[in-house]
Amino acid sequence: MIRHGEFKTPGGKLIAVEFDASDGTLRNVVVTGDFFLYPEEALDRLSGSLEGAPATLTGPDYAARISAGLSGDVELLGSSAEALANAVVRALHDPDTRDAAGGR
Amino acid sequence: MQSFAPSTIRTRGMPPVAVETGTLTADEIARWRALPWRLLPETPRTPLMNMALDEVLTERVGAGLRPPTLRVWGWSSPCVVLGRFQSVRNEVDEEAAARAGVEIVRRVSGGGAMFIEPEGAITWSLYAPEALTRGMTFAESYRFFDAWVVDALRELGIDAWYEPLNDITSAGGKIGGAAQARRGGAVLHHTTMAYDMNVPLMLSILRIGKEKLSDKGVMSAAKRVGPLRQQTAMGRAEIIDHLVEQFGTSFGLQADEVTPQELSEAERRVDDRFGTRDWIHYLP
Repeated sequence: MIRHGEFKTPGGKLIAVEFDASDGTLRNVVVTGDFFLYPEEALDRLSGSLEGAPATLTGPDYAARISAGLSGDVELLGSSAEALANAVVRALHDPDTRDAAGGR
Repeated sequence: MQSFAPSTIRTRGMPPVAVETGTLTADEIARWRALPWRLLPETPRTPLMNMALDEVLTERVGAGLRPPTLRVWGWSSPCVVLGRFQSVRNEVDEEAAARAGVEIVRRVSGGGAMFIEPEGAITWSLYAPEALTRGMTFAESYRFFDAWVVDALRELGIDAWYEPLNDITSAGGKIGGAAQARRGGAVLHHTTMAYDMNVPLMLSILRIGKEKLSDKGVMSAAKRVGPLRQQTAMGRAEIIDHLVEQFGTSFGLQADEVTPQELSEAERRVDDRFGTRDWIHYLP
């Protein structure tokens, strides 16, 4: 089962995450949204920071992992490590945050 | 060859600290005016060529092969332009888009999806050396790049202002948004404003989820937009002329055209990248 969670930073941008957690860890993590990220190639570092993470962590734990992945010369605008962590927690525990009109 | 000589910035009786109105400081105006700006006037191009030209021209300016440039976009057909990091299925109903003959393309910059109809959108790009925004944060540079537009809209009597991070909005609703990308020492700042909008068609193609609207006061996407046609009697072409004139008067602008090399390089990139499924569905 592919899980999907979203979080929109108030006054900012939406960040969404999808992954498979059937083996108790986050696999095939894909991060998307209408945020800005410089350099663009850092998207792989965002998703990579969550790949293999246990599905039992708390929001702050995920945020710390994501922040570590964003360190260096990466700038995320309109969203944040905390926002992505919120999306992960929603995907795990409240996977009904997705677009009511969209669905799949 | 059309040319606009720089002249004194007209004062508008607004305090220079009121950044929301777009007013630039003397130092910022000097930065703009120090560059030899060129104008690429509106020419209808396919959505994919518009995507590819943005990348090619940014790189050319970064490499010093082209002066800083303002390009006014022409659209030959309707499309959805996805931001660099957006998922296709989260943003677009692909079947509805196909039924309506609306192409889906992906741009080089981040930000949100745009629904474009050729006569409904006013789009332009600015390509400049990164030195133009030296010392500014990314966030500050968005305000810097859109300030002249806000002033130009206010001259038309539209109560417009800049809203961080990347919106141009008004008392009548959101007018437009900007996005940036950086390549090899150059910054690309492109902005799209809504002139006219077929809201029912847009809503049938774009997926606007409840989370995206979670911090907005209204749950209706239609209420959030304030296309220029609802706010001025001027036509689309007149507004574009006014914007270009305002830019030229404020900063200087000389007419130019896309070179054959730039066109052929952009065509090559349409074939190799921007038109491929790997790029458009890079995030499915």
